[in-house]
Amino acid sequence: MPEQTLMKPHRLIMVLVAAVLVLTFAFMMDWAWLPKYSSEILDALWITIALLVSSIVVGFLLAVPIGLVQVTGPRPLTWLAMSFCTLIRGTPILLQMWVLYYGLGSLFPYMPGLRQSWLWPYLIEAWPYAFVALTLSFAGYEGEVMRAAFKGVPRGELEAAHAIGMHPFTILRRIWLPRAVQRVLPTLGGELILQLKATPLVATIAVVDVYAIFGRIRQETFIIYEPLLMLALIYLIFAGGIAFVFRLLENKLPARG
Amino acid sequence: MPGRDKQPSPVIEVNDLHKSFGQLEVLRGIDLIARPGEVISLIGGSGSGKSTTLRCLNLLETPSSAGLLKLLGEEVHLKFDKQGNPEVSDRRQLRRLRSRLGMVFQSFNLWPHMTLEQNVMEAQVQVLGRPKNEAREIAHHLLERVGLTERREMYPAYLSGGQQQRGAIARALAVDPEVMLFDEPTSALDPELVGEVLTVMQGLAEEGRTMIIVTHEMKFAAEVADKVIFLNQGQIEEQGTPEEIFQAPKSERLKQFIQSIN
Repeated sequence: MPEQTLMKPHRLIMVLVAAVLVLTFAFMMDWAWLPKYSSEILDALWITIALLVSSIVVGFLLAVPIGLVQVTGPRPLTWLAMSFCTLIRGTPILLQMWVLYYGLGSLFPYMPGLRQSWLWPYLIEAWPYAFVALTLSFAGYEGEVMRAAFKGVPRGELEAAHAIGMHPFTILRRIWLPRAVQRVLPTLGGELILQLKATPLVATIAVVDVYAIFGRIRQETFIIYEPLLMLALIYLIFAGGIAFVFRLLENKLPARG
Repeated sequence: MPGRDKQPSPVIEVNDLHKSFGQLEVLRGIDLIARPGEVISLIGGSGSGKSTTLRCLNLLETPSSAGLLKLLGEEVHLKFDKQGNPEVSDRRQLRRLRSRLGMVFQSFNLWPHMTLEQNVMEAQVQVLGRPKNEAREIAHHLLERVGLTERREMYPAYLSGGQQQRGAIARALAVDPEVMLFDEPTSALDPELVGEVLTVMQGLAEEGRTMIIVTHEMKFAAEVADKVIFLNQGQIEEQGTPEEIFQAPKSERLKQFIQSIN
């Protein structure tokens, strides 16, 4: 990569503009509420991060087989995976979340024995529904991405593995999956950012994530712009971080073959 | 060649091999015997079935039917699924046999996410279960043989076609195959890179490896092969020593073919 320097006229001007903006925000606006809510914001931040990371990890683990069976078969599993992807991608995630929380959640109390089971304490919380909805959504979108990714790995690379006597699972683990992931890495980075921006929806089912806490701050302090501005900054930093990490990953990869 | 007259038992023995893609019958009864140390060249026009024949030998294509399919002394049996498509009965046997057959492709097919050295180590570790250190040592040795010692840490994308193909040969050799199958190994190469690959292949032939080569390099076939098989429309039209095939072709087709390439 060519070395980048800030010492270019247009970059210096951009830095100056940014500095002016930050200073304006810092001194011209009202930030008195911030210390009072800082610990709650931090807690809420962790909720957002936990939901994002867990739904991405589990969702991706689901997406791999969902994408794979659409390429390899058997036919019934292909159909099942296709229907799942179509259902998830064809309906708003907000609706999915509400169906799980208000729909399924309201049915659970009538199921015999469930109240006494170890599951019950979780089922009366909101976050498991948020987690499941976000996970299924990510699995649905990434299942489709992985389907294309698996299909896009050149046949010859897999043939070479077959020809040398590799077991199909070894081929998947050593060749097919790494190559598929490598090819869709830029897409995955974008999808992660979309997933990040889907997390505020959990506020609608009473999970106190970072979006929800800023909503409360606005209601309690009657200050509008400052909390919103800060919230925007938080998401921006997250999204920027994700983009940065994926840029690093892509640069680390050998040139695409 | 002297010594070959004793006829040791064949490493590959195929009888009445048929292959159809849908309605199209690509192979219409191929018989082929390869004995240890033999170098066989498959030649023929495009669509003659020479590549398909080769790919049937390690079952990258499953034959539609075969009177006999015997690899390395073991008979391979076919069965048919509900749609009537042929498949190999014993996948485990197939994997075992494949690991003793080296295949080199027209388009190299090195794994792009691994360095050259990792490419050559991969099957040793994952298929043969060799310890990594040993596999690396063997990889070094093989890459040195094909003249790629300095390139072993590089990814395939940074190598020329000739280098990639030599790397692919090293990868195939890494499992100590008893037969090497070459599927038009120089067809995708720039003309000036063909020589380096052929030199490596010639070296293999000279050390007595059994090789079956699909090729358009007639000069190479004439020099290196013990036997040349000319395929036409899915059948063996003529076979014999290079002298017989290239200097005294009998069939009209072969005469035309030889004329057309000269």
